[in-house]
This record gives sequence, C-alpha cells and structure tokens, in this order.
Amino acid sequence: MTDTQWPRYVVLYQDREGNPHRYAGSVHAPDPEMALLNARDVFVRRPECVSLWVVPVDRIFAVTAEQLEEHPDLLAVLPEGSVQAAAYYVFQKIGARGLHSFAAEIEAHSSQEVLKLAVEKLPAKNIMVWWVFPAAEVHKSTPEDIQAMFAIAETKLYRDQGQYHTVAALRRIKEQKDKEHANNAG
Amino acid sequence: MRADLHEALSARLLAMADDELILGHRDSEWCGHAPILEEDIAFANLALDELGHAIIWYQLYAELIGRDPETLPDELAYQRPAADFQNVRIVELPKGDWAFTLVRQYLFDVYEAVMLEKMAESQYDLLAGAAAKIRKEEIYHQRHTSAWVRRLGLGTEESHQRMQIALDSLWPEALSLFQPLPNDEVLAEAWIVPRLADAQAAWEGQVRPWLTDAGLTVPGDVHAAGKRGQHSKHLAQILDDLQEVTRLFPDNQW
Repeated sequence: MTDTQWPRYVVLYQDREGNPHRYAGSVHAPDPEMALLNARDVFVRRPECVSLWVVPVDRIFAVTAEQLEEHPDLLAVLPEGSVQAAAYYVFQKIGARGLHSFAAEIEAHSSQEVLKLAVEKLPAKNIMVWWVFPAAEVHKSTPEDIQAMFAIAETKLYRDQGQYHTVAALRRIKEQKDKEHANNAG
Repeated sequence: MRADLHEALSARLLAMADDELILGHRDSEWCGHAPILEEDIAFANLALDELGHAIIWYQLYAELIGRDPETLPDELAYQRPAADFQNVRIVELPKGDWAFTLVRQYLFDVYEAVMLEKMAESQYDLLAGAAAKIRKEEIYHQRHTSAWVRRLGLGTEESHQRMQIALDSLWPEALSLFQPLPNDEVLAEAWIVPRLADAQAAWEGQVRPWLTDAGLTVPGDVHAAGKRGQHSKHLAQILDDLQEVTRLFPDNQW
C-alpha cells in the first residue's frame, strides 16, 4: 500500500433549507463521523450551512456525459438477482461551471439501474456528470447538529486585513531603524 | 455589587481568561504541524475560539473593574509578567505529542463545558450571557476532541500507549482546575459561579467513563498537581514568544 492517507470522503453541503445539497470538496478521515467533523471544520466556518453529508468517494458511481455517449452499454442493466431494492441519490453537474447538485432519490437494485432510470426520467439539461450512490452510504449531520456545528459560524466576526495597521506599524519601525542607522553612521 | 463579590468575581474572570489565552496560544503552535491537513484546520479553528473566549472574559473583567474593555485585553496579554498570570499550569505545558495535546484539550473542554453550563444560569447577567455564547462553541470542541480520544485510545498499540502516558501526566494537572481561588466560595453562595467541587464531580462523571471506554486507565489516588497561579518555567517562555514584539516596540500601534 503506497497511499498512507485515510480514505477520502466527498462533502455535500446545503446552504439553506429547500436548496439542494451541493458538492463542496472532499476530506480525508478514518471513519464517517470524523469525516463529518472534518467537513465542518474545513468547509463551514464562514458561509451559511444547515446540513452536511459525507460519502466515501469509492461508493460513488460517477459517469460523465462523454462516457455515456461513448459507452451506451453503461445503461444496460444487469439482471437484478436477489438484491433488494434500496434508495440511491442522484447528483448532477449541470454545465461546465455547475457544482454537482442533488437531483433525485430513486429506489432501485444497483447504481447502474438508478442511472438508467435517472437518464430516462429526469429532465435533460446540459448534464456534464452523473453521480449515483446508495443513500445508506451517506453520513449526515442531524437537525440537532445545526446549533453546535453550523450556527456558531454565523456570528463570527471576520475582520478585513485593512482593519489592522500592521503595515503602517512596520513602516514606523523601519523609519526609526533607518534614522538610528543614519545617526550611527554620522 | 458587594465588595467581596466584586473582588472574588474579578479574580475568577481573570483566571478564566488567562486559561483560555495560554491554552489558545499552545494550540496555535500546531498550526502547520498537525498530523493531517484537515486536523490542522480544525485545530487552528479551535485555537482561535479559545483566544476569542479569552477576549470575552478579559472584557467582562475590564467592565467589572471599570477599565476600557477595548484596550485592557491587549494590555493584559502583552504587558504582564508571568508572575501576574492566574492560569493553571496544565494550559502552559509544552504541546508535547499529538496525544498530549488532545488529552489536555479534551480534559479542558469538558471542564469548560461543565462550568459554562452552570454559568449560563449565573445571577450575574453579563456572565450568564457570555457563558451561553461560549458554550455553543465548547459543545463542538468537546465533540471533536472526545472523538479523537476514543479513536486514539482504541487505535494502535502506539496510539494507545501515547494516550495513556499523556493521561498519566495530565490527570493531576487537570485536577488543579478545580482548586478554588481564596474567595471562590462567596461566588458559589451567590449563584454567580458554580462551586468547583460540584463542577469536579460533574467533570469526573463525564470524563471517567469516556476515558475508560476509550481503553484508558484513569490514574488512581492522585492529588491536584498544584494551585492556580503557580507556574512552571514554560509560562515565561510562552510570554517571551507572545510578548516579543511588544517588548521591542512598546509604543507601536498595530
């Protein structure tokens, strides 16, 4: 094993009630609970947030529009076998600048089947990337977490660097030093 | 406010502020050095929170003694000699390894959470308001550090061993947090600050089972390492760092 890093989790971020969860970035963590705490510390300190999800990156079935075009067989769903249907989340990245955003929850037997259903049923927009993953793989913040994890970030004061007078202070020190130098030399 | 309460409360506020300032400074020493990037960010956040709490307590102290709450915090942080600091020794000890830092932070976080919960109901309104505000952040700190304690305590043989060594040396230091100041009792009687013996019972009620579940052994038959305000040589070293620029350029405006 050459990678000594912890597993990577994708962080999905909801900025307000009613908006979809969107891709924020990713964190490394030894387990889902630490991933959630790390996600909070890395991504939530300043902006608003009401809910965070983390999902192991290797559980995400990710397919680009290009791949779909080149390999239509990606949508050829294998026999279901004895697998039970479960809930999956579908995220879409719309447009080159869009962030992967929650699009639908679909019940099916595999990520591939979910993708097939999603391509058929969801409105065709300029979708660049599809993400599908089992809902059970997502570790979510709870409504009780809002106070302790997110609300405190809203009341933080962040001072612009212009509010400090460090540059002027350093300039005064330099002028003083220059004067001392000149006096010593004289 | 009665004169004896005034005296006792100002001493207590200064002690709480000094704890937060020095611990926040120690925590900030991990900035750029924490074991992983995510934790580096988390711990820098936490250090900033502790410094923020220090400012809140220094400002309350300033208001109580009739000084300017805008300028007094800087004056207290940057111009006092070590002997005037009222912090407990546990916060000034060098940051040690990651286990030492985490065990210290965890023990301190639970202490703070216990104190703040009671202080949020203080008869002194300004204290109650500040405690309620700080408490929200401490709930998160405690969640973060207690999660780490569990994982390192139950992690590898090495992580467990380091945690146990840290706990053995920090437990008596942590008990010093509950050594009362000479006038604390009047504050408890007036329902302004909780009685430290009660706080200690609540603290032990939380940390003992958590540490045990994390596979660690709480040292038995141990007494508090010292009294508040008794310092190691490390405090002077911290202040050499913290006050270096102020000492060089005492009158400069930053």
